[in-house]
Amino acid sequence: MVVTDSRMIELVNIGRSFRRADGRTVAAVSDVSLTIPEGEFVCLIGTSGCGKSTLLAMIAGLLAPSQGSIVVDGREIDGPGPERGMVFQRDSVFPWMRVVDNVEYGLRCRGVAAPERRAVALRYLDRVGLGHVERAWPRELSGGMLKRVAIATVFANGAKVLMLDEPFGALDYVTRHQLQRVLLDLWDDGRAGTTRRTVLFVTHDVDEALLLADRILVVGAGRIVDDIRVEAPRPRDTDTLLRSDAVAIKHRLLGHLGLERPLAQGRAAGAAA
Amino acid sequence: MTPVADSLRPGRAPDRLGSRTRALARAVDPLRLAGVAIGVAVWQGLTMLLPPIILPTPAGVAGRLRDDFWSAPALSYYGLTEPNLYGNLLYTAQNVLVAVLAGASIGIASGLLSARFPLVQAGLDPVVMTAGTVPILIAAPFLLIWFGVGRTSAVCLVVFYVAVTLHIFAARAARNVDPIFEQSARTLGAGSRRVLRDVLLPATVPEILGGLRIALAGAWGLEAVAELLGSQSGMGKVIEVLAGATDPQGIMAALLSLGSTAVLADLLAALAVARLTRWSAAAR
Repeated sequence: MVVTDSRMIELVNIGRSFRRADGRTVAAVSDVSLTIPEGEFVCLIGTSGCGKSTLLAMIAGLLAPSQGSIVVDGREIDGPGPERGMVFQRDSVFPWMRVVDNVEYGLRCRGVAAPERRAVALRYLDRVGLGHVERAWPRELSGGMLKRVAIATVFANGAKVLMLDEPFGALDYVTRHQLQRVLLDLWDDGRAGTTRRTVLFVTHDVDEALLLADRILVVGAGRIVDDIRVEAPRPRDTDTLLRSDAVAIKHRLLGHLGLERPLAQGRAAGAAA
Repeated sequence: MTPVADSLRPGRAPDRLGSRTRALARAVDPLRLAGVAIGVAVWQGLTMLLPPIILPTPAGVAGRLRDDFWSAPALSYYGLTEPNLYGNLLYTAQNVLVAVLAGASIGIASGLLSARFPLVQAGLDPVVMTAGTVPILIAAPFLLIWFGVGRTSAVCLVVFYVAVTLHIFAARAARNVDPIFEQSARTLGAGSRRVLRDVLLPATVPEILGGLRIALAGAWGLEAVAELLGSQSGMGKVIEVLAGATDPQGIMAALLSLGSTAVLADLLAALAVARLTRWSAAAR
């Protein structure tokens, strides 16, 4: 069954509960329904333990939902698949493969011929600024460089949906901003061709969400509590964050995160409307 | 935060050769040679205080080793098949090699499987726990009953020891593999066979090879002891008959040849480990 409209990801009444050590069942995600069109850059934001990573893991197929169904690109998912790439918060680059072998690993899994997959891998390594370390071992790279390798790997694999679980959380300020640009630059490739890739990006950082997202989903206590569209034009920079609509969204997000009083949240929501 | 050096760029064959020579250089570093020299000097000093029947001189042992290595007619008089050290050393080395290969294959496979499948673990853990805590030699009477006197019993004993050791190392290594690597491989499109070949095996190689070197070192001693179980060849048997003949010089010559062979084998294993685990800083 192939759905021909632009819905790339469709969640219907998704829930996931875990059994705790004391035997009680805790719902990490409950009754989430959501449609994400193809090419949209979506940021998921929420406090620690709100269920956003669980949601991502279910879409990635690494975790089976307790109820509901997930349809990606017209097919109900049943485990991980190469059409859904994942960049993890922790380092996931294989230490036992050279950098270039890591980047072409997905293509190797799918039986792409060696010269061809090597060419693709080198192209993406160049794009993330690591053309010069293709033969290096991962242990020789810094944390920021390993993230670049991970990003090159998912893009080289040609995934239609990219999921990034707080990918830049552990990086310093400068590296984080460099990598945001690298990511947006690769995502923007789609503009010239047919369609952009659909991105789900989990973050704690309000400014990061404002700089990256077309749409910000606020997750709280296992549910989607707000769905905000970011209309600011691209490319975005520090000035974007100072626009009145961006400031309004920021107030609204800070309210959701419990960093500002509901009064401020109400005022911000009013301003945005 | 290591900056990437320019030298990384072309590193291919020279890099490989470099790591080999470096491993060799480490093995024969001057400090070790100095240690050997001091040991020999102390030994020489002690021979001036002790009678030769208690402690033979280094020169005497070296001469004896040179003489006995190719031909030691006295050994055939004591009932050994091979009247020289060379033949017995070869016999022992062959048994160790066969036992280590067989035992490692069994132990690595069972260790990896029990780390992955709880049922396998439940079945094997009692056996491994028992074998790991009780001295392995107590299995000898059973082996003698099952396989009779001779080579098979000795090799089986060593196979058992190596398999148990590597089972423990492999199971621990597999449990230590960060699940993020398997998750990452699966999201990139890897199936179960690829996960095994490209993630589980390479990730566990450094720890397993570390265990293999430990098992190899232990295997020499155990094989020599096992040869006392009625074997007609092997270094253990040689040492036994020389002890019976109160020949400390001969015993030390035999020990020296056995020890050197074991050190050489460990050196070769270390080279193989360095070659296979270039990616891992911890294994160096």
